Amino acid sequence: MTILIKNGVVFDPAQGIDGEKMDIAIDGDKFVEDVSSPDEVIDAGGRMVVPGGVELHTHIAGGKVNAGRIMRPEDGRKGRIPRGKLTRACSGFSVLNTFATAYTYARMGYTTTFEAAMPPLLARHTHEEFEDTPITDKGALVLLDNNWMTIEYAKSGDLDKLAAYVSWMFNASKAYGIKIVNPGGTEAWGWGKNCSINDPVPRFDVTPKEIIRALAQVNEDLGLPHSIHIHCNDLGHPGNFETTIETYEAVKDIKPSSDRQIMHATHTQFHSYGGSTWGDFESKADAIADYINKNDHVTIDLGVVMFCDTTTMTADGPMEYSLHTLSRRKWSNHDVELETGSGIIPVAYSPKIGVNAIQWAIGLELALLIDDPWKMALTTDHPNGCPFTFYPEIIALLMSKAKRESMLETVSEAVGKRALIATIDRELTWSDIITMTRAAPAKILGMSDTKGSLKVGADADLAIYDIMPESFDPTKDYKTIEDKLMRTVYTIKGGEIVVRDGEITATPHGRTFWVNPAGKKAEAARDGMLEDLERMFRDYYTVSMANYPVQDEYIPHGVEIRTEVN
Amino acid sequence: MPTITLSMKQSITVPLEAENITPDNLAGKSVDEIKAVAVYHGNSEAVIGDFFDVTVEGSGNDPASTEIIMKGDLTRVKRIGEGMSAGSIVIEGDCDMHCGAFMRGGKITVKGNADAWAGREMRGGEIIIEGDAGNYVGSAYRGELTGMRGGKIVVEGNAGDYIGEHIGGGEIIVKGNTGVLPGLSMTGGKIIIEGTATMPGGEMTKGEIIVKGGIIDMLPGFKFEGEEEVDGATLKKYTGDLAVRGTGKGILLVG
Repeated sequence: MTILIKNGVVFDPAQGIDGEKMDIAIDGDKFVEDVSSPDEVIDAGGRMVVPGGVELHTHIAGGKVNAGRIMRPEDGRKGRIPRGKLTRACSGFSVLNTFATAYTYARMGYTTTFEAAMPPLLARHTHEEFEDTPITDKGALVLLDNNWMTIEYAKSGDLDKLAAYVSWMFNASKAYGIKIVNPGGTEAWGWGKNCSINDPVPRFDVTPKEIIRALAQVNEDLGLPHSIHIHCNDLGHPGNFETTIETYEAVKDIKPSSDRQIMHATHTQFHSYGGSTWGDFESKADAIADYINKNDHVTIDLGVVMFCDTTTMTADGPMEYSLHTLSRRKWSNHDVELETGSGIIPVAYSPKIGVNAIQWAIGLELALLIDDPWKMALTTDHPNGCPFTFYPEIIALLMSKAKRESMLETVSEAVGKRALIATIDRELTWSDIITMTRAAPAKILGMSDTKGSLKVGADADLAIYDIMPESFDPTKDYKTIEDKLMRTVYTIKGGEIVVRDGEITATPHGRTFWVNPAGKKAEAARDGMLEDLERMFRDYYTVSMANYPVQDEYIPHGVEIRTEVN
Repeated sequence: MPTITLSMKQSITVPLEAENITPDNLAGKSVDEIKAVAVYHGNSEAVIGDFFDVTVEGSGNDPASTEIIMKGDLTRVKRIGEGMSAGSIVIEGDCDMHCGAFMRGGKITVKGNADAWAGREMRGGEIIIEGDAGNYVGSAYRGELTGMRGGKIVVEGNAGDYIGEHIGGGEIIVKGNTGVLPGLSMTGGKIIIEGTATMPGGEMTKGEIIVKGGIIDMLPGFKFEGEEEVDGATLKKYTGDLAVRGTGKGILLVG
């Protein structure tokens, strides 16, 4: 099928196109130069035409998301939509069912969604839910940092074996990238403790910093498309910005294997806290932004908090327990043998609570204080900061000081005293926003050849919003942003029209990208690693090694990306 | 004062979801309009006229002065009066679950028994159940943090288990006995039980429970504070539930 989109006002930061009136052509599932006699002509009529959204950090599939759904039947009472001719029944506000997740992302113009935390042992569950999440292309980042194999190799410094293990694990779990969550801390939580970046992990006598460096080095040795993707130690602790910056510094000397960052630090809002207690808690977004502005080896995503009753879920087990001791709300704790753990707890962020209001401010401050939008991606760490359905309102806040001022009137006075938001005048442009939601996340993920751009040869993923950029003032008309970014006029995914006038028109299966690290680097120490791994399965795992890897049947729409470093 | 009478034509097995039967929805409507109001019978859409004979006496479209009288076999009619804000409903017999859920005002009188979840998460108004009530009277639905927050529920007979679970405000009065764990996870409001109760007040952090007829299996997390006079009776006063860390502001008075 060929499609020609005429008269669009195009934003494509990857090609330096900033609101130019031009036509976009699609042939099959790719963008092309031009099509003669197209099957369908869409007249955009001066509306905004942008690449499909790229979500690089969200929690939409797998064990803990589903545990969240089970734990919160009251959340499932919200967002209910009966099945339609094409669509399955939807439910949920913060822990949406898989179909609601897919339809909502697609309606908002997103076509690529990456699940940010897949425990290897539960990889099947993640891939099964991917299969039930139509439309968007997907990938999963596998949790490897609190894994006993990783920790032992980090301790012995045997990076060749670690490379062989990462390669084996990517194949076994069908993963796209390496995720690190509170390195050492989740393992320590098995003993009722936590770890900061320089504390030895109990029983292993290795520090989180050494684990991070080992995985970062191996990531580059294997030439993986994405860098390590880290949730730093000390998440949510007052004063944690120092740990965050120390984490960034820890990998500065490592050479990237491609034109991208060495470390992607996620939901940075939760890691930009000053003060020493909740009493003197304050924003250190300026310190973090200053570091990012001066250094090129780290990218971040925001992890914005908005005021709502949401569900937090993370592999950071000790963090969730400390939240439970604060709020006493129902809490779930889970250990994944040898590998990781997780916790889930509902959280209601309230504008009247000083700490919550400062958290809200920090997420926005980071976006406004970091000069280069290519260094950051817009996320809410869905559903931890708030559900992704808040993106339109967050974008309105970033583009309009007037919107910020009206909201500042409703939040705790603590924001004026211990956050910076009220002092910032910057208003982001459409180009900034489209970079942060498309071009930058695609580049950070190592997918800029196919995603986040309308360039010829890229995947034909595109969104048209009912906004006329040439006659529209986002700084004043912020309510329109909130409204129009919720529902596209068109969303096209892989050359197929999946949304028209805000309604789902097709529900194709998305693809699941996974990386197969091959070549000498991955294979040199394979035999020795397998001996260690077999011992690990024999001595500790409750499953056998033969039953462990995810079979191909679980990813019928898988796309293998082979990397080969010799 | 307009009176709408809905008479169930015959007994049904599959439940009827009748959340649209409220004075707010039916006030001022003609017989034909009322007959056309939607109800779900299981998962198929139907209308009130499929199940009820409808008569309207008097006129006026103010919900507050509208009375709905329901007759016939209503044992499988759920959610009567859900979310109503004014007026009154008289149920001349037994009714199914969720009667008066989310109610904000007005009055529901059940002449017979009401099944589980009567007055679930209600905010105001009054429910009188002249017979027995089922489980979870005035409670929070699955997973919800707060149940009833205001209004009053009176049960003339006995009530089931877990009444007032997560109740945060308002008042539940049971003239008879109750089952296990009334006031479970209570955070406010008041529960008065004239008869007996089993293990009342588990995980309560605030609010007050009075059990005049005595307690079966007192929970261990309650601390004896002395005796107190209530309406001429001398009751033993306890505070708890100390099993919940750092609280124990709940009050349990036992006859």
